[in-house]
Amino acid sequence: MTDIATRPTDAVSPPPRGRRRPRLDGGGPRAGTIVAFLTPFFLPFVLFYLVPVGYALWQSFRVVRRSGGQYGTSYTTFGGFEQYVEVFQNDEFWASIGRIGLFGIVQVPVMLFTALVMALLLDTHLLKLKGFFRTAAFMPYAVPGVIAAIMWSYLYSPQLSPVVDLLNGIGLKPDFLGPGAVLWSAANVSTWLWTGYNMLIMFSALQSIPQELYEAARIDGASNWAIAWRIKVPIIAPSIVMTTVFSIIGTLQLYSEPAVLRQISSNISSTFTPNMLAYTVAVGNNYQQAAAISVVIAVITFVLSFGFMRLTSKRAGL
Amino acid sequence: MSNTVTRIRLAVVAAAAGVLVLAGCSSSDSSDKSSGASCEPSKGKVTLQYWNTVNGMDKVVDLWNKDHPDIQVESKNISNDQYGAIGNALKAGKAPDLAQVGYDQLPTLRSQDAFVDASACKTAAGTESKFVPWTWSQAGFGGEGVYALPQDTGPMAMYVRTDIFKKYDVPIPKTWDEYTTAAEKLHKANPKLTMTFFDPNNAEWFNGLLWQNNANMYSYSDDKWHVTVESDKSKQVAEYWQKLIDDKLVRTDLANGSTQMFAAYQNDQMATQLGAAWGYTGIRDNLPGQAGKWSIVPMPTWGADGNSGDWGGSTVAFMKGGKHLYEAAEFNTWLNTDPEALALANEVGGLYPASTDGLKLPALTKGVPYYNNEKIFDVFAESSKKIDTDFSWGPTQKTVNLALQDAMAKAVAGDGKLTGALAAAQASALKSMDDLAIPATAGK
Repeated sequence: MTDIATRPTDAVSPPPRGRRRPRLDGGGPRAGTIVAFLTPFFLPFVLFYLVPVGYALWQSFRVVRRSGGQYGTSYTTFGGFEQYVEVFQNDEFWASIGRIGLFGIVQVPVMLFTALVMALLLDTHLLKLKGFFRTAAFMPYAVPGVIAAIMWSYLYSPQLSPVVDLLNGIGLKPDFLGPGAVLWSAANVSTWLWTGYNMLIMFSALQSIPQELYEAARIDGASNWAIAWRIKVPIIAPSIVMTTVFSIIGTLQLYSEPAVLRQISSNISSTFTPNMLAYTVAVGNNYQQAAAISVVIAVITFVLSFGFMRLTSKRAGL
Repeated sequence: MSNTVTRIRLAVVAAAAGVLVLAGCSSSDSSDKSSGASCEPSKGKVTLQYWNTVNGMDKVVDLWNKDHPDIQVESKNISNDQYGAIGNALKAGKAPDLAQVGYDQLPTLRSQDAFVDASACKTAAGTESKFVPWTWSQAGFGGEGVYALPQDTGPMAMYVRTDIFKKYDVPIPKTWDEYTTAAEKLHKANPKLTMTFFDPNNAEWFNGLLWQNNANMYSYSDDKWHVTVESDKSKQVAEYWQKLIDDKLVRTDLANGSTQMFAAYQNDQMATQLGAAWGYTGIRDNLPGQAGKWSIVPMPTWGADGNSGDWGGSTVAFMKGGKHLYEAAEFNTWLNTDPEALALANEVGGLYPASTDGLKLPALTKGVPYYNNEKIFDVFAESSKKIDTDFSWGPTQKTVNLALQDAMAKAVAGDGKLTGALAAAQASALKSMDDLAIPATAGK
């Protein structure tokens, strides 16, 4: 989830279709200037984005072969789609996809709905101490994901947690780290971490709505509720779509929360999420298979995020 | 604008294609045989790279550097990602001269062509008699060469809360049968008290228990690996622990070494721990209030006077790509056999030496105050003599360990049994070896 903020945002708000922008290159700058301006972007982009992606793609089409003896000498050769066939036949892979699918279907709507409600509340005149609440809600985002997971792991742990002690005291016997609960304990950490961040994006969008719209609506007799539901939410729909896409990407890349909770709960396996599976396979020196898993995760991410954008852009007229 | 966009797109595609070509050139690693390296001294001053995970190892290295101006050693601590660092360095062709490698990871790294055979170096090759036999056997792959020198070991023993056993008038068990009986008695006397914990996410520990029962997991014959992770011997161990778990005589909710685990010991909720020699500092430093209450005795055995097990320990391996094998062998031999070096490594890093002379260090023959001034290291030294020398590890041990852990965790959560976990680990061993083109078959 950590690299969400680094995604280029123009990917999710495509330029309006069917309208041509005016040509800008009449009497344009010299090639040298273009290169000078683009290099700071393209050099790291190529080195740290295209090269790794290309390398992973390349690796995913290789297979390991070995010659001679008990240990032999290994080499790689072209294997076509062999690694991909293996990914698709891997039960662990589908189990991990199923797990984060369930995670995403529940956690993403809960988180975004909470974020939306919080953003709308902050945008009303009903709330006092707005600055405090805004900062407080955003604060968890400033905590690195691993640290957040470690903090929560203390709250979940039956040996150390005051929360568990308290619940035990009133007769409840919660097992936050049990086989059925641990996925939701991880989801809770993600929600805690990211709700404020999503809220802030939605809140910024709300801030940019011109006040005249509200005045006009009030003159027409709209209640606060109607203004929120009929005016604010539709106007900030692009932000909601954007946060949803970020959340879908984040869910598919889920790693640090379950990886940390794994330290104290044996109910998180080494193949709990697709990224954890890829890591486990790579640790076993099967880099080619790990590359294929990564490519499949990337393709699923692309399909889901662009699919969602297409779906919503038709509906919301974006 | 659209022309510019097209041009940029083309440039991106071209760059990506270039990357693919570059990647193609670098990834086909065909390397020559590792055996038969010559061992000649280098001319002039030499600097060796030595990667390890031992705290304070730089002090031991300083001791060497002071007396050997021409063979300087640089120590680098790689404890936050030991095998990641070694694996990446190997892939990049930048491996150090010497690296710390756990016994169970030796075959895995050798299957990546990581080592060089230092048989030609007389100093190193002549140390066979100086090490505990099983360590030499594993470091040399049963006498095939000198790929690594043993450094430390983790002979197992049982840490016991003698006060708890005394309080409930239960004798300290000597066999696994007695261990079950004692567990039943203690739990009956005090339902909050359990004998110990079973951490399903600790395959290394469980492997130590399998080792104790001579449950050898791998052998090689007829150009094939024979995998026997699932065997009668290993199933015996799995069934034993399954019964303890089913009867709720051991806890399954604690991770080894976690704060939670120490909290449970702190609160007198557990009476024993099956640990290794290197674990004596953990108990001592985390449970200072229980000084005098802990004792260390031989681990329970299968039948009277049975074997012991080993959990952990490392070698210092001769890495492929090092240019100064002679000097590396000189340093490695000194590091792991010289009494002064061993004493310092034990003092700063808590290493329990693989060298038989090392076991006679003054620090390892005295009583330890925390443990009632008992000579606890005598117990570990005895344990170390009773460890099966034929036990060996597989070339995909990490993958097998993870598969075993995942399946044991499921079993502990009520989904399957520990014997089933062995079957899962067996299947994982066969599949992972097949993935890496290592010929393997299910052994008898």
